[in-house]
Amino acid sequence: MTWTPYQPTDETPWNLQRVVHLHRRAGFAAPWSAIQRDLADGPDDSIARLLNGDAVDKPNDSDAMAATIGDAAIASGNPQRLKAWWLYRMVTTSDPLGERLALMWHNHFATSNRKVKNLVLMRQQNELFRKHGRGLFGELLSAVVKHPAMMLWLDADSNRKGKANENLARELLELFTLGVGSYSESDVKETARALTGWAVINDKYEYRKTRHDDGELTILGQTQPFDGDQLLEMLLNNPATAKRIAWRICKTFMGENVVSESALNELAAGLIENDLNIGWAIETVLRSNLFFAGANIGSKVLGPVEFTVGAIRCLELDETPPSSMILTQWLERMGQNLFYPPNVGGWNEGRSWLGSRSIIARANFADALAKGGLWHPARVPDFDELIERHDGSTKLDEKVRWLATLFWGKVSNEALKEITAKLNSLKDRSLPVAASLLLSRAEHQLG
Amino acid sequence: MLSRRNFLQKSSIVSLAPVLPHVFGRTANAAEPESNEKVLVVIQLDGGNDGLNTVIPYADDAYGRARKKLRIPTKDILKIDDHLGLHPSMRSAKALFDDGRLSIIQDVGYPNPNRSHFTSMKIWQTARFDVEQHNDNGWLGRTLDLKTFEGKKNAVYVGQQETPVALWGRKSEAISLSRSSDLQLALDPLKPENKSESKSDLGQFVSKQVLTAYASAEKFKRRGAGESNDSKYPNTRLGSQLKLVSQLLKSGSQSRIFYTSQSGYDTHSSQLYDHSSLLREYSDALKALLDDLKEAGLDDRVVVMTFSEFGRRINENDSAGTDHGTAGPVFLAGAPVKGGLLGDPSNLSEVGGDLKVQCDFRSIYATILNQWLNVEAKSVLAEDYSTLPIFS
Repeated sequence: MTWTPYQPTDETPWNLQRVVHLHRRAGFAAPWSAIQRDLADGPDDSIARLLNGDAVDKPNDSDAMAATIGDAAIASGNPQRLKAWWLYRMVTTSDPLGERLALMWHNHFATSNRKVKNLVLMRQQNELFRKHGRGLFGELLSAVVKHPAMMLWLDADSNRKGKANENLARELLELFTLGVGSYSESDVKETARALTGWAVINDKYEYRKTRHDDGELTILGQTQPFDGDQLLEMLLNNPATAKRIAWRICKTFMGENVVSESALNELAAGLIENDLNIGWAIETVLRSNLFFAGANIGSKVLGPVEFTVGAIRCLELDETPPSSMILTQWLERMGQNLFYPPNVGGWNEGRSWLGSRSIIARANFADALAKGGLWHPARVPDFDELIERHDGSTKLDEKVRWLATLFWGKVSNEALKEITAKLNSLKDRSLPVAASLLLSRAEHQLG
Repeated sequence: MLSRRNFLQKSSIVSLAPVLPHVFGRTANAAEPESNEKVLVVIQLDGGNDGLNTVIPYADDAYGRARKKLRIPTKDILKIDDHLGLHPSMRSAKALFDDGRLSIIQDVGYPNPNRSHFTSMKIWQTARFDVEQHNDNGWLGRTLDLKTFEGKKNAVYVGQQETPVALWGRKSEAISLSRSSDLQLALDPLKPENKSESKSDLGQFVSKQVLTAYASAEKFKRRGAGESNDSKYPNTRLGSQLKLVSQLLKSGSQSRIFYTSQSGYDTHSSQLYDHSSLLREYSDALKALLDDLKEAGLDDRVVVMTFSEFGRRINENDSAGTDHGTAGPVFLAGAPVKGGLLGDPSNLSEVGGDLKVQCDFRSIYATILNQWLNVEAKSVLAEDYSTLPIFS
């Protein structure tokens, strides 16, 4: 059994590295106090807190503040401000796993405002990812595909009896449920006919019987008249859907080449037994031996959001949050333009995050962070105070070691030597500069 | 995006020598050959260029009658034959024409012209006429979706606006760049250390990508310090956009499609001066790009297509401007084109208020797809279109 629960052993102890690993993968990294608390409390409580959405203590007013920013973004009509709203949430939330899942579903159901052109609908869809993100996949799927954002994005309203538009049908089969290879071109055509009657009226989903094609259809070998809901139910009962969800979850939370085909099948089988309960699968993965295996640590390329939000959260810069508007621009330079995924397939993730342009953007982001350029007006962050509060180290190399441990969970003496040597060669040997050197290193692109 | 071999072999080996691990030495030698594939650069003239005052039928008496205030004096026109000539501010384009590096296709458009900027631009960018398809995928995005472009599906948009629909595809991606600082390092970072042998495959990959990116930024910076022709670009927005395109190409970019735009062509009133400046900015920037690429030995790989969403009316309006029209000229420039004029000049007194479309823009796309990018045009355009003798 691959997904047996993690029990610390001599080889896989519950140590700082594993606590940092857990937070980097499942929740955009954590501040020192949360890491120390989890180190003392052990894996069960630490994972439970992430799952329950109280991973870190946050002021109660951050939700209210986020709502205000969201409303203002909508009122302004400026898409940059809606991106900033989501980033603010990710930076300040006490439920980082919930935001990480919302980001995962944004990629799974990749919808771009370039065509939807409606911030109200884009925000509503985003809230659906939050509301159903760890619930039953059937409820998530139905809520998202029958929401106007997706329907406008994939022309569902133009798909009418006698005048089929296959856009939603194809992506429903290929991307949202079954995956390539589990259906034929004729299934796509017939699925489009089954989805006729779904309409967008006044920015709301409505069923219009007169537009629906109630002829007999053959979809995935089954012949009968179908409506959209019956079709969704059949897709949810198809084992290929469970496998695709298992794949999506493993791609998000597990490293490269860590999950074998049989492990994937096992997770998919468990999903079927549990009514495609996403939360069950997330808990199974995060509590597993495989998640804490050495091979899974540092084996995944961090995406731009994880890279950016992670640095801010663990350095406690969220106390005086950087300008979310400035952060969105950095994300775009790194290749992740929220609410504007590159195409219906979303971001490729993994190694494709690391083109030259985005690596340069990551290094320049680290530099901007150190020089205070993430704030408006600029303010250089005070890491001496941060270290004094948590660690009390006084020597430069000890302070650098503390920063590296906060970022990576552990640091080799060689790497430390290189960084301090480099730092000593510079005129500005401040801790922010040390942090920028750490963040722009190859090690920091992995998590 | 940037060719490894290029900087690792040619330039950065020296500067990176102290930190360059063996594995990268090997990689540099074994790297795939530098990109030598054909590239298309598109320049979009936003607003509807007044084609009649761009490629001017000075010998047609009806031209002077239609353009009382906007007529360009015959003596100033840069004549290209005994009937037509280029606007006086297009000296650079005229030089390209004389050099056989500029093809002009006359009166390009499509059936039932649409006079809305928005709709007509979508028609050009998607090569689709159904409004419902205007936010789907563009003709270049669909091109990059084809199997031939596996692994090279990135188009580059250079500009400040939203990425144009022309570049959107089902699988392809459009990278957008607005400033050259996006390709330069603000800090002096630590290079990946000399320990790759002990790393996992992923760890080595990341180190290699980081080293490659930093090396490309160093190369970019050195070039900025005066190694090349950068100073010959006009100090205009289009000039700097095309300079960025050239810098990317010279740094070994694997992208096959580059796209940029110049705005301001919606000249409804007092257009004489504005239109003249726009055409000067356009043709000076175009020539600077082609000359720069020629010097870099890249000119046989690059073709530049210029279009606008429509031309303007034959008759000027009462505000010394022109209103939305139909057909207009398309330019194809670069060493690979035959050069010269394609199509016959319209007889203005016969056509009424609007130019007749002589050439469907999809014929130009089909020619570029079939004969330049070497893909089957029909798989992008859905139908067959006759091709034109553009390439030599």
